[in-house]
Amino acid sequence: MNDEGTLVEHVTHQRWYGAKSRQISHAQVLDSVMLPTTEPQYAIAIAELRYDTGAHDVYQLLHPEDDSFGVARELVSAMRSGLTLQGSDGIVELRPVLGFAGLGRELIDARDVGAEQSNTSVVFDDELILKVFRRLEPGVNPELEMLRFLTEHGFPNIAALGGWYSYSGGPLSATLGILQEYVRGGCDGWELALDELAEEPERFLGRLHRLGEVTGEMHRVLASDANEPAFCPETPSVESLGLLTATVDEEIERVFLSLPDEDEAVSPIAGRGEEVRDLLRQMTHAGFAGQFIRTHGDYHLGQTMWADDDWVILDFEGEPARSLTERRRKRSVLRDVAGMLRSFAYAASAVSLLRDTEPAYGWEDQARARFLEGYFDTVDPALLPSGQSAIDRLLAVFELEKAVYELQYELDNRPDWVGIPVRGIQRLLEETTTPA
Amino acid sequence: MSEQWFERDPNWFKTAVFYEVHIRGFFDGNDDGSGDFRGLIEKLDYLQWLGIDCIWLLPMYPSPLRDGGYDIADFFGIHPDYGTVDDFKEFVEQAHQRGMRVIADLVMNHTSSDHPWFQESRTDPSGPRGDWYVWSDTDTPYQDARIIFVDTEPSNWTFDPIRGQYYWHRFFSHQPDLNYDNPDVQDAMLNVLRFWLDLGIDGFRLDAVPYLYEREGTNGENLPETHAYLKRVRAEVDARYPDRVLLAEANQWPEDVVQYFGDGDECHMAFHFPVMPRMFMSARREDATPIYEILERTPGIPSNCQWGLFLRNHDELTLEMVTDEERDYMYMEYAKDPRMKLNLGIRRRLAPLLDGGRDDVELLHAILFSLPGSPVLYYGDEIAMGDNVYLGDRDGVRTPMQWTGDRNAGFSRADWAQLYLQPLMDPVYGYQAVNVEAQLRSPTSFLRWLHRFIALRKEHPVFGLGSYEPQRTDNPRIFAHIRQWEEDIVLCVHNLARSAQPVQLDLSRYAGMVPEEMFGRTSFPPIGELPYLLTLAPRGFFWFRLRQTA
Repeated sequence: MNDEGTLVEHVTHQRWYGAKSRQISHAQVLDSVMLPTTEPQYAIAIAELRYDTGAHDVYQLLHPEDDSFGVARELVSAMRSGLTLQGSDGIVELRPVLGFAGLGRELIDARDVGAEQSNTSVVFDDELILKVFRRLEPGVNPELEMLRFLTEHGFPNIAALGGWYSYSGGPLSATLGILQEYVRGGCDGWELALDELAEEPERFLGRLHRLGEVTGEMHRVLASDANEPAFCPETPSVESLGLLTATVDEEIERVFLSLPDEDEAVSPIAGRGEEVRDLLRQMTHAGFAGQFIRTHGDYHLGQTMWADDDWVILDFEGEPARSLTERRRKRSVLRDVAGMLRSFAYAASAVSLLRDTEPAYGWEDQARARFLEGYFDTVDPALLPSGQSAIDRLLAVFELEKAVYELQYELDNRPDWVGIPVRGIQRLLEETTTPA
Repeated sequence: MSEQWFERDPNWFKTAVFYEVHIRGFFDGNDDGSGDFRGLIEKLDYLQWLGIDCIWLLPMYPSPLRDGGYDIADFFGIHPDYGTVDDFKEFVEQAHQRGMRVIADLVMNHTSSDHPWFQESRTDPSGPRGDWYVWSDTDTPYQDARIIFVDTEPSNWTFDPIRGQYYWHRFFSHQPDLNYDNPDVQDAMLNVLRFWLDLGIDGFRLDAVPYLYEREGTNGENLPETHAYLKRVRAEVDARYPDRVLLAEANQWPEDVVQYFGDGDECHMAFHFPVMPRMFMSARREDATPIYEILERTPGIPSNCQWGLFLRNHDELTLEMVTDEERDYMYMEYAKDPRMKLNLGIRRRLAPLLDGGRDDVELLHAILFSLPGSPVLYYGDEIAMGDNVYLGDRDGVRTPMQWTGDRNAGFSRADWAQLYLQPLMDPVYGYQAVNVEAQLRSPTSFLRWLHRFIALRKEHPVFGLGSYEPQRTDNPRIFAHIRQWEEDIVLCVHNLARSAQPVQLDLSRYAGMVPEEMFGRTSFPPIGELPYLLTLAPRGFFWFRLRQTA
């Protein structure tokens, strides 16, 4: 694969290749590392694609790509033995997590579980899942970092980490993949919501109360180690609220600038950009924002699973569109909470869009209340602003930020769904413009 | 494992936005009245938000501070007011985690007279460092070398009563020049570079590089020996430290400065000094000619090199690279009070130089950001801070950063009297009127405008990488040019006049394309064969992306 044309052809035809609209100017393999097999010869390659806009991406390739199960199996076996492999410009380290039982087993059946934009996953025997990061960014992947931390600090509601492998060398140092326990027989939180919302709403509300507790506990554990610099809670700087306000404000301005005039779904908030910005300013009057810690970063029902009578929290990668340094950043825990609350709004609307039934009247309000009740019972109050009204205000800021982001996303991708963020923004406008 | 936060990208500096920090004036992390590295760490989130790619630190070494730290007394330490070497390491790591790089000022030409090397040299002429400085029995050699600090220094030679000889100094008499003819000095300076590079620093701004060597019958600037030594430094950096940058401070005419790029094997970057006063001149005269002319006079540079561009910095607005006539004009227009003059320059900040005119400040930033090069911002100018011309030397432009309207401008929790300098308190530029906190909260503030503008520039690598093609028209008040990099074509039109102006641009080469204004993304009428007519507001500007019609 030394020929540039073949490499471009190869990479751009992969499902995980994310930059489909960009023109590639150069492509090259920066390093390749052979796995200790002879026939067939398996390998990992680090390849760089340069675009004509001056940007570039670095990808991990498995060789041969059409036998990715074979490569994956070999990777797990090398992880088990804790191998360090030499490339021409760096090394690949494969490491097991001590005491992880799943590593001992023989890998028989492998299946693909769909590729997302930046990674691919292989499931072995419904027991293990190997996630291979395809688009690489320098630094520790937050997924690995968070799972290790949560495992070491005894947070039980995750799928256990079994091992990982990473590259360090001239081109960059990056996490290449992780091995995790596969949650068998689990039910995706989003699907469960849609199923139960119409049929057994009361039962699901009970589950949401538990989800609130698990979330509060997750934040408590994430804030529990002052000796680990990457996780040690931080007192936000005096500018932090100002920086947040400015960022959200510019986002609102940008989105409202290009709001389509003719779209009926948008009409409740059309032309109200300035009102939304005023609202934001009212909500961010200076005050202590609580301690900042590492958070889930992309928290919604789709990142949860109900298995063995409890919630499992998944996917600690953070928002894939953000840079890795951005995703590893310490933030207010209320950002995760807001993400989940927005997810309830989506679930309430999706039931009618996807399942053709209506949620019980006032379901979303109840869902919010039950989740928050469980959350505030367990979370460490030092992580929150002082006083309920300050908490509510900051929570509303994050919901607004999220809803504005959703608005742009739905306008670009799913016009039928635009009404959901519109209602979210409208709700915030109405709640807070009522004189106190 | 030490974590590496950047992908290998040897040309990162070509699309970067730099920010010059005066550590003492930025933020006080230990309440002693002086800014320090702990404080700087606390403000990294702010710099990251602003969109800064690389922080340039003014000298941070132990120093008697008779020249703002450019008089270094120990190349391997940190000034105790700023913290420790460990604090510095932590700062670099924290900056890297936020995706920002760090370069530091390094003075190779001279040391402080307090430096142990100089003390050894003056007391032990036959010892191992006896020859590390430039000594002479008389003050007559090298008479063709000009005096730089004309306000304070009568000669480049000063008599040392201890050694009984004269020593050579291109700057203050307390800053003896090192003798680069001595191979030990050359090696010692390479050791200094390695020390900091090993600590993770991303490069250096090399202060006063033209003066390393002296030769009889020359002006002692830009000598071939100096270039040869800089090439040796570069080779050392390339071999062991990829992705680093050497930024030359050579206050010279463009044709001399380009020598510092070598064939892409000397310095990565050099400041473009002469373009700076011409931007101010053009704004005052309402005439784009000085900018066009200096850019015409600027030779091409190797593709792996870049100009550093700036409006203001920690020094006086230097007028060395203008004609006498131009200098008189600048003094007359921008330094009405004689206190504002210093050496061959004007010691004022950007906003007061432009009489606080918001349109003027925006226009000059637009021109700066549109030119081929990487912009270097000076701390405080992003909130349009003022200056204090009643303070001595260059302290007037080095007052504490104004963070909030609270006590000490939010810069320090020390007692007012303990501060290294008091923050500005005048009604126009004082910290109650001008501060980061208030500007962050106000969507129409200059800070918020600049933040959006930096983001816009960074979305388009063309500004760092593209070609430059002037578009002179018959309206001299308009500065217009086209930048192009691969398929990305950008048209920048700036009105230097205080009145509205029409301009007709010959864009027939781009006929059929549609100019899209870059801020608001509004499409303008397509370009045809006839001259393209634009109307600009007073001190207004347009940046367009030229798009193919579908």
